[in-house]
Amino acid sequence: MFIQKGKSFGFILIFVLILLLLTVLPFFVDLFYQTFLTELFVWILFAISFDLIFGYTGLLSFGQALFFGLGSYTVTILMRQFGFNTELSLLLSIVIPILFAWFVGYFSVKLTGIHFVIITIIFAIIGNIIGDTWTSFTGGSDGLTFSPPPFRLGLFQIDLMDIKGNYYFVLTVVAISYLFLRRMVQSPLGKVFISIRENEDRARLIGYNVQRYKLIAFMIAGGLSGLAGGLYSLTLKYASAGYLHWSVSGHAVVYTIVGGMGTLMGPALGAGIVMSLEHYLINYLQATDLVVGIVLVFMVLVAPKGLVGLIQSKFKRRKASV
Amino acid sequence: MISNLAIAILNGIVWGLIMALIALGLNMIFGLLHIINMAHGALYMLGAVVAWYLIEITGSFWIALVVAPLCVGLIGLIIERGLIRTIEDKPIITIICTFGLMLAVQQLVLMIFGGSPRRISPPVAYRFPLFELQYPAMRIMIALISIGLMIGLWIFLRKTKYGLWMRAVVQDREMAVGLGIPVNKVYMWTFVLGSALAAFSGVLAAPIVSVEFMMGREVLIMAFIIVIVGGMGNLEGSVLAAIMISLIQGIGSLFVPPSIATVFALAFMIIVLLIRPQGLFGE
Repeated sequence: MFIQKGKSFGFILIFVLILLLLTVLPFFVDLFYQTFLTELFVWILFAISFDLIFGYTGLLSFGQALFFGLGSYTVTILMRQFGFNTELSLLLSIVIPILFAWFVGYFSVKLTGIHFVIITIIFAIIGNIIGDTWTSFTGGSDGLTFSPPPFRLGLFQIDLMDIKGNYYFVLTVVAISYLFLRRMVQSPLGKVFISIRENEDRARLIGYNVQRYKLIAFMIAGGLSGLAGGLYSLTLKYASAGYLHWSVSGHAVVYTIVGGMGTLMGPALGAGIVMSLEHYLINYLQATDLVVGIVLVFMVLVAPKGLVGLIQSKFKRRKASV
Repeated sequence: MISNLAIAILNGIVWGLIMALIALGLNMIFGLLHIINMAHGALYMLGAVVAWYLIEITGSFWIALVVAPLCVGLIGLIIERGLIRTIEDKPIITIICTFGLMLAVQQLVLMIFGGSPRRISPPVAYRFPLFELQYPAMRIMIALISIGLMIGLWIFLRKTKYGLWMRAVVQDREMAVGLGIPVNKVYMWTFVLGSALAAFSGVLAAPIVSVEFMMGREVLIMAFIIVIVGGMGNLEGSVLAAIMISLIQGIGSLFVPPSIATVFALAFMIIVLLIRPQGLFGE
């Protein structure tokens, strides 16, 4: 199943251990930390979906907030206005952002480098302005609230209004998405993404339709960002136009850079570290983004490959010396 | 109606000139160093904030107008030497780095200056009649100062040694190195000049808008639009595009909500990016 057999055993072991730890954790921490961890899982999903487009395919998209916000609004509006059930709303919070990512990506992938960065920012800004202006539909910056019905799959049922139930639900979805992304980046398709990042011209010369593959990566990342947005709304029972602001994409950028781009594990780790840091700092300092900004600049200068990159290079050096 | 239109046009030109200064700074840095400075809006904001403190101390807007850009220019010097120089050959990484810088500067100002907006009263309070309405003379003065600065910048680029060096580095960096131009220094001074320009326009804008830590966020995006529509690296194009876009937005806002006018400006920019990535006024 997995390409790197030796590595995958270690991965499965760590992954299962972390999952086990996170499964028993709600019994030891209070409701506040359960919600905190649930939000952390959502941001991890947002960060790893961004890692697919940035870390693996080499496209810096500041437009992921658009898909995050779209997913969040899909869930909220479908449940609030149209009484959809959770299963279908959540599914559509992937499908609708994918369709938008197809539209945005169709234009964006024609551009490269900083032009790509800017065009994705512009699309996100347009989304944010529309969300802010069309208050009758979106609630504007005040946002919309709702209460989700239980999630049902056959006989299986989870009450999402219960914080613990919501915790396990989000954990499960994020864990599955993680495995899906990991499988994808190890598949031949993932190798094409990496080859585009490494050398776009060469990938084209080999015969790959580079723009099409970029679009595929953009759509998958957009769909998963949408799912993250949908889960975020399910957790907070709320959506607002603020989620569409391009600076929301900055979260994913920070987590990915701090943890290590192109590793999946890195952005997840980065999200955990940065969010814990923020949570800890908020007791002493109102402006936690000050520290986040400094950490980001510091990491870019000192360890552009992030924490995972640092750890990996340590291991390599040790192996070389032995 | 006619007076509303006249005021919309005047406001459009005044704001367009301020935006032109901001975009010129951004575009100079882009044209030479090939980096997108996400912290440019934060430097603009910093200019206004430093000016607010200077006015509190000295009581003079004019002293602030001169000193605040110098202070921010110094900060630009530190940024360029300390951060940008080490990663200047990686454009995507510099975007992320300056994004982090933007966050840090904004939040630092939030901590020190506070979150509530503050006003800088215009040093010239006189208003002259315009049809049946009145128009503040200060805005005309701001426009004249901006034009004066742009002329100064043009002379600097065309007639001085440094200006010649800058243009040479833009044209061919390798050749410029070969000819003995201190490219490193040119980079540094360009970044300082760009930062100072952002701060200068921040001070100029301060009597019109209110001073607060987020004031640079939307301006940054407008500056991007202008630089792209005018053409990256094309300074004259930036000035034209700034005035054009501000006029369209100003006049458009008379007929449709301002947010819709902005959406149209953004959609226009996407089309320019796709069809003419070299900008409307590029060759």
